Amino acid sequence: MLGNLLVSTLMSASVYAMLAVGFSLTFGVARIINLAHTAFYMVASYIIFTATMKMGLPLYVGVVAAVSLVVLLAMVTYKVLVDPMREHETTVLILTIGVALVLQELMFLWFGGYFRSVPTAVEGFTTLLGVRVSYQYVLTICVLIVTLALVWLLLMKTRLGLAIRATAQDREIANVMGMSDSRTATITVGIAAALAAIAGAIVAPLFIIEPRIWLSPLTVVLAISVLGGLGSLKGSILGAVIIALSENLVVFLVPQGAFFKGAFSLLIMIVVLLIRPEGLYGVAFEEER
Amino acid sequence: MTVPRQQQAGAGAETGSPLLEVTGLTKRFGGLVAVNSVSFSVGRSEVVGLIGPNGAGKSTIVKLIMGILRPDKGSIRFRGRELRGMAPWNIVNLGVAGTFQNTRPFRRLPIIANVMVPCLAPRARRRGEWVKRIEVKARDALEFAGISDLALEPAYQLSHGELKRLEIARAVATEPQLLILDEPFGGLNPSESDLLAKSIRRLHRGGRFGRLHSEGMAMIIIDHKLSYLLRIVDRVLVMNFGQIIASGTPDEVVLDSDVIEAYLGKEEMA
Repeated sequence: MLGNLLVSTLMSASVYAMLAVGFSLTFGVARIINLAHTAFYMVASYIIFTATMKMGLPLYVGVVAAVSLVVLLAMVTYKVLVDPMREHETTVLILTIGVALVLQELMFLWFGGYFRSVPTAVEGFTTLLGVRVSYQYVLTICVLIVTLALVWLLLMKTRLGLAIRATAQDREIANVMGMSDSRTATITVGIAAALAAIAGAIVAPLFIIEPRIWLSPLTVVLAISVLGGLGSLKGSILGAVIIALSENLVVFLVPQGAFFKGAFSLLIMIVVLLIRPEGLYGVAFEEER
Repeated sequence: MTVPRQQQAGAGAETGSPLLEVTGLTKRFGGLVAVNSVSFSVGRSEVVGLIGPNGAGKSTIVKLIMGILRPDKGSIRFRGRELRGMAPWNIVNLGVAGTFQNTRPFRRLPIIANVMVPCLAPRARRRGEWVKRIEVKARDALEFAGISDLALEPAYQLSHGELKRLEIARAVATEPQLLILDEPFGGLNPSESDLLAKSIRRLHRGGRFGRLHSEGMAMIIIDHKLSYLLRIVDRVLVMNFGQIIASGTPDEVVLDSDVIEAYLGKEEMA
């Protein structure tokens, strides 16, 4: 049973971490609280569905298509809608929720409100910590963890990563050092969308797809950001683990109360806001090196 | 009228025209005219000092040139190109770099990364340079500024004097043609000031500093410590109430009665 808890916690934690890291990056560099972030995840799932079930393409083609289309969608949205009114923070906040709702309605329009699913990439089961785990599950967790590691390497070891970290710390000074802040912000928005799309694409075979699947991950991502500290990458990952663990603990300890798990992350958010409003890792974008 | 002027500027860019030409520059903050129709120019490899009492508008001029503030009137031409309306990063990439009165490092990045950031600017970057190569270049800039032994410390641990030197290393890292230093000696003790004055002169003389090179970089230096400033500069502009009230060689300016009244009379000669 404990193995079961660990495996499912690891799974939710890595999905949440992927979403929360992208959300934090967007906030840190572009200074946007992007409520449409998980809508990109939902769109990615639908692109996979279209590619595999409607067009009969192999799954990996669907994944590539989903990631590239979603990145394109996010960058165009940022350039055309968000960037021109970047200074009006509240407007941007409302704008992003508008984008999310438009995407949701478009999916209703094109695919209807049915529950969809896509085939798995690999078949079969293995036994892990005394739990029967499908290969798809293992593959998903591995891909997510490797992707997170790659993002960390990108941020810490490359020129682009340095540009992103510098812009996140002080946008104005980065600008005076000859760095185009709007270019860095656009690229960061692209990276964040790619993370959301990869998460959406890789978990699509495990979950059902419907136009409203962006809402509950959004509340979780918001709870993680509040818990970890808005804009902090370390906080996002730690927050993802804590929220995933507590959600799964609720299901594990009170199986009848499984419906309560969504509310639980919100409860954590409220408690954190009351006790330590800046979250675990302070106000600003966390740096580690 | 615009066309012949641009041609003139374009042709002149290669010959003897000034590197920086500021004409009729005006900036208002509400009712206060911080910079009032200021015109001056800086020649190639010329070092110009800008002095004046507090609130005379010196730092505002720096911010206008660097694109941080938008002028209300006037033009700023660098190598014949109008800088007005450009974003700061764009101006830096044309070859202007500045340090500011208040040092603002990336506090949580190590010193070396602080200097690597300007090395990423398109101007300073060569194709296919990886982080390691940039790091070597950033180290040269730190070496030049004399703080290479602190490369791995996070920026928040530096003293004020070291932060001033970090600012200079960051500005030099973009290999500018025009370097603007706003109060580089501010808050430095005499020995630190001596070191900095030497670095500035070395930079102006030009040459190679590891991977960085400069060829008679032009400079605008603002400072209150006249004893250091006047030793370095070729020419001095004196500002008061947003206007230039005198200009000349350091010897001439020191004797100018307007200047003595407006500025030197109140300030001790350090």
